[in-house]
Amino acid sequence: MWKRLLFIRGTELVALALLASIPLAVDNSYVLGLLTLLAIYGILLIGLDVTVGYLGQVNLAQAAFLGLGAYAAGLSVSLLGFGIFGALAVSLLVGLVLGGLLAFPALRLEGPQFALATLSFSALSVTVLNEWESLTGGAQGLHVTRPDLFGLHLKAQGFYWLCLILLALVWMAMRNLLSSQWGRAFEALRDSPIATDAMGVGTFRHKVAGFALGSGLGGLAGGLYAFNFEYLQPQTYVYDLMVILLLGVVLGGRKSLWGAFVGASLIALLPNLLSNWLMFEVISAIGLLVALAAGVRGLMKKTTKPFQAIAPVIAMGLLVGGGFLVENTENWRKAIFALMLFAVVVGLPEGLMGFASRFLAQLFRIDPPALPAPAELNTVLAAKAANGEALLELRDLKRYFGGVKAVDGVSMTVRAGQVHGLIGPNGSGKSTAVNVISGLYAPTAGEVLLHGRALPQGSLFKVARVGVSRTFQNLQLFGELTALDNVMVALKGVYRSPLPLVLLGFARGEEKRAQAESLALLELVDLKDQARTRAKDLTYGAQRFLEIARALARKPDLLILDEPAAGLAHPDVNNLVEIIKRIRQCGITIVLIEHHMDVVSELCDAVTVLDGGRVIAEGTPDEVKRDPKVIEAYLGVVSEAEAPGAIPSPA
Amino acid sequence: MESIIIAQMAVSGAFMGLVYALIAYGFQLTYATSKSINFGQGELVMFSAFFSLTLINVGLPYWLVVPGGLLFGAVLGLFVERAGVRLALEQKSEGWILLTIIIGLFGFSAAENIWGRDDRPFPTPISSDSFQVFGVSITPLEISVAIGVLAVMGLIELFKRKTLLGKAFEAVSADRDAAELMGVSATRTIMLSYGLSGMVAAMAGILVSPITTVGPTMASALILKAFAVAVVAGLDSGFGVVLIGLFLGALESLASFYIGSGWREAPGLILLILALAVRPNGVFGKASIRKV
Repeated sequence: MWKRLLFIRGTELVALALLASIPLAVDNSYVLGLLTLLAIYGILLIGLDVTVGYLGQVNLAQAAFLGLGAYAAGLSVSLLGFGIFGALAVSLLVGLVLGGLLAFPALRLEGPQFALATLSFSALSVTVLNEWESLTGGAQGLHVTRPDLFGLHLKAQGFYWLCLILLALVWMAMRNLLSSQWGRAFEALRDSPIATDAMGVGTFRHKVAGFALGSGLGGLAGGLYAFNFEYLQPQTYVYDLMVILLLGVVLGGRKSLWGAFVGASLIALLPNLLSNWLMFEVISAIGLLVALAAGVRGLMKKTTKPFQAIAPVIAMGLLVGGGFLVENTENWRKAIFALMLFAVVVGLPEGLMGFASRFLAQLFRIDPPALPAPAELNTVLAAKAANGEALLELRDLKRYFGGVKAVDGVSMTVRAGQVHGLIGPNGSGKSTAVNVISGLYAPTAGEVLLHGRALPQGSLFKVARVGVSRTFQNLQLFGELTALDNVMVALKGVYRSPLPLVLLGFARGEEKRAQAESLALLELVDLKDQARTRAKDLTYGAQRFLEIARALARKPDLLILDEPAAGLAHPDVNNLVEIIKRIRQCGITIVLIEHHMDVVSELCDAVTVLDGGRVIAEGTPDEVKRDPKVIEAYLGVVSEAEAPGAIPSPA
Repeated sequence: MESIIIAQMAVSGAFMGLVYALIAYGFQLTYATSKSINFGQGELVMFSAFFSLTLINVGLPYWLVVPGGLLFGAVLGLFVERAGVRLALEQKSEGWILLTIIIGLFGFSAAENIWGRDDRPFPTPISSDSFQVFGVSITPLEISVAIGVLAVMGLIELFKRKTLLGKAFEAVSADRDAAELMGVSATRTIMLSYGLSGMVAAMAGILVSPITTVGPTMASALILKAFAVAVVAGLDSGFGVVLIGLFLGALESLASFYIGSGWREAPGLILLILALAVRPNGVFGKASIRKV
C-alpha cells in the first residue's frame, strides 16, 4: 500500500518540483517558452483524452476550443477589462458551454458521425474567427496583453509557474474525477451505450458532461495560450493542429494523465527537433529500430498481424530514407507527423505510457490497492415483500415492425416474489416483449404497469431508474472494465457526492462502500475472486453471471433475465439455477426467458407461453407442459393424413 | 434584375453542387459495404487532379488523360483501403477514422512539395464560352460536369444491378455475414468499393478542376461540402445526394454572394450539424432499428 502511494504520488511530486525548478537553474527564454507550451498542451491533452480515451470518440474539435478559448480570454481583457483569472474563467466557460451545446447534436452519434460533427464545428469556428472582423480582427490577428496578477506584472517566469500550477490542479481534479463513478460511466458508455442506459447510468448526461469538460479544458488551455503568445490568428487552430494534438494523445497513451503529459512534451518539442536535420535523422532512426524490434518480436510471438508489424517499419523507413532525399525537412512537416502518427496508431495503439505502465508495474511489483471486505448481502439487497401481489402487468401489449406483428396483444401478470417464466419457440415475440418492457422499444399499443403505475415508454434509462433491471441475450458487458467496475458502475444508491466534491477528491468514502457492496454481489454469483479481471477476459459462463450481478446492482424490484442459460455448459447451468434461487430468496421478482425446460420447471412458479406474438398458454410449469397448444407450437401438429404409413402414394 | 442574379448564382452553384454529390456518392459506396468512409477523400480528389494535370502537361490527349486519372484514383482508393481501413475493420475498431485522416494529411503534404502550393489552371478541350438560357448564362463546361457526374453514377448503379460482381456488392451491403456464408468475399468487395470510390473521387477532381483550378487547398474546400451532402442526404440514400448536392451548391453560392465569400462554407457546415442533430440518418436515409 505505502509502496504504491510512494511510487505514484512520489513520482508526480518529483516531476512537478523538477519542472518548477528548471527556470531557476537555466536562465534561457527559449527553454522557458518550451516549458510554458508544455504545460499548456498538457491541460489541452488531458481534456482531449476525456473524449478520445475515455469516451472513445474521434474528436476533431479540440483545436477549435483552444482557439475559441484564446479569443475569449483575449477579448474579455481588451473589451471587458477582466483580470487574468476572470479571463481564464471566461475561456473555461466558453469551452464548457460550447462543448456542451455541440455535444447535444453529437449525442446520438457514434464514430464517423461524431467525428464529422466535430470537424464541421472546427471549420465553422475558424470561419467565424476569420470573418467576424469587427470583433476578432479577422485574418489580421488580434493582439492580447497579459493582464496583471493582483497588481503584479507577470514576466515569462511567473507566467510559467501559473501555467504549471493550473496544470497540477487540473491533474488532481481529473484524477479524482476519472477514478470515480464518472470515469467508470465514461468508459461504460464507450463499451456499450445500450447497457449504460439499461443500467440506469445514463448515456445522455455523461456524454454531454464528458465532452463539455474536455472542451472546457481546451478553452482554459486556449486562455493560457493567448496570454503566452499575446497574439492570435485564426489560421493557428486549423486541421493540422488537430492532427498534431491527436498524435500527442495517441502517442502518449490514452486514458492516462501521464500519457497526456508525455504526449504534450513530445508535441511541444517535436517541431524544434524536426528543424534540425541531424536530430531528425536520429529520432527517426530510433523510431525505425523500435518499430523493427517490436515488429519482429510481435511476429515471432504471433501476437501481431503481419500488417501491424510491417507497416510501421515502412513508415519509419520512409522517414529515415526521405530525410536524405528532401532538401528541407521543415517543408515536409505534415507528412512527417502523418508518418509518425501512422506508425504509432498501427504499431503501438496503447501508446508509450500504456506500454511503459505495464512494464513499470511489473518491474516494481506494484499491487493494486487492497479491496475492502464484501458487505453483507442482505444490506445490499434489502428484503422485499414477496406477497404475491401483481408487480408487473402487461395489458394488450403490441409492437409491430412495419407489417411484422412481433408482439400482438400480450396480457400477463407477474406476481411479487415469483419467478415467472416466459417461453415460446424462436420468433414467438419473447425478446421483443422484454425489449418493450425494458424500454428499448416503445410499444405500438397497450400498457405496461409496475406496481400498478405505468412504466415509462421507449427509454431504457427511465425504466431502469424505476426499478426494472435486465440482462441481455447477446452480452452487453463493458468489456474494458474489470468485473468489479462493471458492477460498481451500475450500483444504485451509493454515489451521492456532487461533482465539485468529486473533483476535490471527497468521494473516496462512498467509493469504498461501493466496492464493498459490489463485491457482495460478485460473491453471490461466485465471481469474487475475479473482481480484477477485465470483463472481456472472463470465460463465457462467467460473463453471463457477471451480467446478472451487474443487473442486481440496480437493486431492482423486477429482474428480467433474457436467456441466461443460452450457450452455457452443463455445470454452469446448475450454478445458474442455484444463483437464481439465491436471488429469489432476496425477494426479487424475476422474469425468466429460457429455452431449457428443465431450468424452467425447476425455478418457475408461473409460466406464460407465447407463439406468433400471442399468449397461447398460462399456468404452472406442469400445466403448461401438458397443454396441447404448447406441444403443437413446439413440435408441430401430427394430423391423421400425414401420420407415417398414411403417406399418399404417388399417382 | 435581382431575380436574374439570384437565378444565376443558384444555377452556377448547383453545378458545383453536383461535384459535391459525386464525392458524396463515393462515400456511400464504401459506407454501404464496410460502414466506413475515407476522411482523406478530399486529398484523394486533389491528388488525382494533380496527377491528371501532369498527364496533360506531358502531352497526353484529353481522352487518354481521363481514363489515366480514373485508374490512378482507383489505385489510391485501394491503397487507402489496404493501409488505413482493413486492419481497423478486422479489429472492429474505429481506428480507420484516424488512419484515413493521417493518410490524407500525408497526401496533402506530398502534393504541396511535389506540385507546389499555388493554384494552377487545368486546361480542357471543352469550351467555357457561356450561352444564355432564360437570361441565365451557362457554359458547356458546366454542362460537361453535369453529364459526367450523372453518367458515372448511372454506370456504377447499372454495374451494381446488372453484373454478378455488382450483385456481390449489394449482397455485402445488405448483410455482410450472410454474404460471406454464401461464398462472397467481403474483403474483396470492400476493396472493390474503395477502388470505385477512388475512381469516383478522381472523376470529381477532373470535372471540377477546369472550373476551380487545381491546388492543395481544394481538398479541404471540397471534402467538407461533400461530407455535408452525404450526411444531410443520408449515407445510404442513393440518388438523394444529387438533390441535396444541387440544393447545397445553390445555397452556398447565394450565401457567399449575400453575406460574403468567407462565409461560403457556413451553410453546409450548419446544415451538417443540424442534420446530425435532427435526422442522423439523413433526409433520404432509413432509420435503423436498434437490436440487442
